[in-house]
Amino acid sequence: MERILRINMTSRTASFEPVPEAYRNRAGRWMTSSIVHDEVPATCHPLGPNNKVVFSPGIVTGTASPTSSRISVGGKSPLTGGIKEANAGAGWGRRLARLGIRAVVVEGQAKEKGWWLLKIDAKGAALEPAEAWTGKRLSDVYPALFARFGGREKVDICAVGVAGEFRMAAAGVCFNDQEGRPSRYAGRGGLGAVLGSKGLKAIVVDDSGAKEVPLADKILFDQGRKKLAAALGEHAITKPKGALNSYGTAVLVNILNEAGGLPTRNFREGRFEGASKIAGEAIFAGNKTRTGAEVYNHACSPGCVIRCSNTWHRPDGSEHTSCIEYESDWAFGADCGIDNLDDIAELCLLCNDYGLDTIEIGGTLAVAADGGAWRFGDGKRAIELVHEIGKGSPLGRILGSGAVVTGRAFGVSRVPHVKGQNMPAYEPRAIKGIGMTYAVSTMGADHTSGYTIAPEILGVSGKLDPLNPDKAELARNFQYATAFVDSTGHCLFIAFAILDIASGFEGTVEECNGVLGTKWTMDDVGRIGKEILDLERDFNRKAGFTALDDRLPEFMRSEPLPPHNTVWDVADRELDRVFAS
Amino acid sequence: MIDIHLYGKLRRFAPNGDPDSDSIVSVPHRDGDTVGSVTARLGIPDADLGANLFVDGRYADRRTPVRDGARVGLFPDDMQLLYKWYFRPPETGS
Repeated sequence: MERILRINMTSRTASFEPVPEAYRNRAGRWMTSSIVHDEVPATCHPLGPNNKVVFSPGIVTGTASPTSSRISVGGKSPLTGGIKEANAGAGWGRRLARLGIRAVVVEGQAKEKGWWLLKIDAKGAALEPAEAWTGKRLSDVYPALFARFGGREKVDICAVGVAGEFRMAAAGVCFNDQEGRPSRYAGRGGLGAVLGSKGLKAIVVDDSGAKEVPLADKILFDQGRKKLAAALGEHAITKPKGALNSYGTAVLVNILNEAGGLPTRNFREGRFEGASKIAGEAIFAGNKTRTGAEVYNHACSPGCVIRCSNTWHRPDGSEHTSCIEYESDWAFGADCGIDNLDDIAELCLLCNDYGLDTIEIGGTLAVAADGGAWRFGDGKRAIELVHEIGKGSPLGRILGSGAVVTGRAFGVSRVPHVKGQNMPAYEPRAIKGIGMTYAVSTMGADHTSGYTIAPEILGVSGKLDPLNPDKAELARNFQYATAFVDSTGHCLFIAFAILDIASGFEGTVEECNGVLGTKWTMDDVGRIGKEILDLERDFNRKAGFTALDDRLPEFMRSEPLPPHNTVWDVADRELDRVFAS
Repeated sequence: MIDIHLYGKLRRFAPNGDPDSDSIVSVPHRDGDTVGSVTARLGIPDADLGANLFVDGRYADRRTPVRDGARVGLFPDDMQLLYKWYFRPPETGS
């Protein structure tokens, strides 16, 4: 029987309860957003006792389904003041699913000062003091925790770094990868600060003795998972030694640069002259030179067949860090004007170690450079500034609060954000479709909230010509489809394959039916996505958001972006139409 | 002249094919040039071209006209990570 584990940090008690009937088929983002919507007062202070942090593995997480180890983390965001779901690929959620735990709800707040570690295993859940693990870099904490709890094979770890301890709005929630590195982040929106506010430093999950995840219809599940696996194995982007496996997500640096949509030096330009030096191809070539071998990418989490997570190696061939994702590469690279991969790697490593969201911190440094705090391109100074965040110095506290606070502190009017969250690596003045997603997303500026899946495949919106789309309808359907994928436990990157190969998409729905015993069709994808978005939008409405928050920053309407020299010209009424019907 | 920026396995058609630099090949412009006519002159097989083709930073395909002085960016079929649905249709511009 599947359960919800509730951890009350006020009374320091753990209790299990059955999954309520209304939540029977919910998991992943669907579950976290449901619980946050139903239990968290929308007007509460994100760092106060009434906020909650909810963890939920996806519908098929823990099964033999490929690329399905995403863990969703939800709560009210201290960065945006709205609802947040951030997810990561990690073995941690798999273990939770195998223990029959559909969600962990962390609520209340420690009354006295102190830090706690939660251990979850087949016997139950218990809190223990965690003072010893605080104030340290996570690359020191994780190996010590693995040693304490029986090793990498036995447990997976979720923790916050010092940024979470400082309750900084740019603090993420860290999970270990398969090698035990503290490198996989539910990064965005400051949920690490919320965990920190509760006094919860880490959650260790041991699934020893757990049973397999029960399947309602094994034949249907196997049929679906095989269709999806075939699609992933066949598609040029997701197959072994395909684009993601060879170059990682950083292959996008050159593509966005060519499109004139790579935000450069705090969104002043759409092309970066150093793009080729930091792109996925340069990472692959640099690793080959430094290690003497072709280094193909690895899986961030168990069961991933796409395997897009990379490493960067020092001149002596030793590993420097994992992972230089496109977003991190861009945030510290083009957006900060830095074209040196060793500096970018160090900045990624520091964020992993201090517990920070790389997108928010890269964007924040760019805003700070615009405000005269340092010079664009000075990678060594950027590294010093991230150390300030790790120290919790007054300057570090400002930077760790994100781009909007930093913009205020330094008197900068060019702050590329929506709802308080810094924009990711796609320039909306060059790529209008993603701009609409940024504007209306319930999460603030977020590229993953509407990244995928053509509406004509989903069939939720009638017929659409992809080359002449109704933008509002397109933005809406992208977001519905994404919310569904975020609830399955699959990585969003399965979209590349299931977008082009219809049987892969069918297989994804069949797998869910095989696990849950439901009879969903492709049409249900849109229905479920709408249900999730409706919950999130309702929460944000109650938190005080209006249509006026669904807007891009003013400077984008007046400052033309080279090389296209275009401004953001999508009418407000078009944005308001996205969720109007 | 037309400057063609090549990426991935297409870099082999440029004089400098280093993957951490700009691989650019320049060809004289001819009347009526399109992405397809230019790639044909360079000997780039159609099968190697993906859907991430750009002319002056705008999303393009093989039929897209190429003016004198244009910048063309070509990514191979195994690198097409950017969705065409992000872009406005070429008729209306961006």
